[in-house]
Amino acid sequence: MAVPDEEELIAKKDVLKLTGISYGQLYRWKRKGLIPEAWFVRRSTFTGQETFFPKEKILSRIELIRSLKEEQSLDDLVRVLAPETKPEGVKHDRPTALAPVGSEGHRLLWKDGGYTFAELVALACGAQVLRAGNRLAEAKLVLDLVRAAEALLRDPTGVSVILAEKSIDGEGVSVRFSFALLGREPLRLDREARIKGQLDLERLVEQVKAALREG
Amino acid sequence: MAAQSISISGSGRVAGGEYAQVKISGSGRVEGDVVAQEIRVSGSGRFGGSVQAKEITVSGSGKFTGRVEADVLVTSGSCGIDGDAEVKELRTSGAQRVGGSFRGHYVRASGVLHVERDLEADVFTSSGRFEIGGLLNADRVEVKLVGDSRAREIGGETIDVRPGAGFSLGLSLTRGLRFGIGIGTLTVDEIEGDEVHLEATTAQVVRGGRVYIGPGCRIGRVEYRESLEVHPEAEVGERVKA
Repeated sequence: MAVPDEEELIAKKDVLKLTGISYGQLYRWKRKGLIPEAWFVRRSTFTGQETFFPKEKILSRIELIRSLKEEQSLDDLVRVLAPETKPEGVKHDRPTALAPVGSEGHRLLWKDGGYTFAELVALACGAQVLRAGNRLAEAKLVLDLVRAAEALLRDPTGVSVILAEKSIDGEGVSVRFSFALLGREPLRLDREARIKGQLDLERLVEQVKAALREG
Repeated sequence: MAAQSISISGSGRVAGGEYAQVKISGSGRVEGDVVAQEIRVSGSGRFGGSVQAKEITVSGSGKFTGRVEADVLVTSGSCGIDGDAEVKELRTSGAQRVGGSFRGHYVRASGVLHVERDLEADVFTSSGRFEIGGLLNADRVEVKLVGDSRAREIGGETIDVRPGAGFSLGLSLTRGLRFGIGIGTLTVDEIEGDEVHLEATTAQVVRGGRVYIGPGCRIGRVEYRESLEVHPEAEVGERVKA
């Protein structure tokens, strides 16, 4: 996973030395989902492969874990951080309570509960389409498309969803239909297609994560 | 609503859904996602969607195309999972393959275990062959070597690798390796743990608190924090006290 160059990195062994934690603790916290997978940056050094972390993030996270550990609220912290670190474990029962889905999303629900992270993002996409004043059928089109693209949500950088419309006129008949398109930018449509809306999946993923953290 | 049970003993195909028990003793195919209390495959079973169950037993051949979630998975036959697996307790004495990553609490493997990506558990014990494409991460990793096992990385608190049973026949380990007779080996890029005991292991780097490098090991570089002991029948390139 890409880490911006300007972010200062620290080697794993230096993290241990600096904080005094053990390998066992670090690996346990990773398993519990307290340290995001994306923070483990593997780099080749003269001694072979080594793991580095974004320095500021890892040090403040360890401090956070330690401060909470004493209050035995580590499991609460796991829950709070879960959407960020292990989105595949999310099961949510009240999607409309999340701001990105909202009350508009109510019309899109298809089951009572147990919505996965990908399904929540799909709902948020559909709700956004509704909020922009499009038809319910169009929102469902987008929803189904995003639901089917679960694998892309792991790395949604530069992924967009486009809702577009096309009309065909001829022999006294005029047909207008909507379609949706999902992919990594740059996405191109032909000139006869009219774009009705465009969603930035990366931003929606972040919004859903943020909403899950708060709620 | 009480869920129903299905049993396929000839050849059959059923839709996904919610079941109390799914039993396949002939050749069966389940299309779509399944939620069940219990799944037993003693013939040949294929599951086309994701599977969620309390207990899954595969003594024949089981093939899961999607994600598998279970409290207990017992495999004595051949079980292939194409997606990720989240299984609290895995006991396998057969051939178990996971195409994605595995997450659980307890793993006991004595057959052949193959995980394409990471394996995470509290306790991992193996007395068979295993191949982990990514990181094997467990509080306790206990390996009795039989055959040649591999992992890209191993990390945890206690890591203990020793030759499996049947080796203590008075043969020296290095001599055994030299003649290549029935001795298991482990090959890893990187091992990190607080308490590390290794035998018959080849690794590029070992980092640890208290480290023992036993007979038959070939280690490129050892970085240790508290102590390091190296057996005379081990090769270690560099030793660094961190």
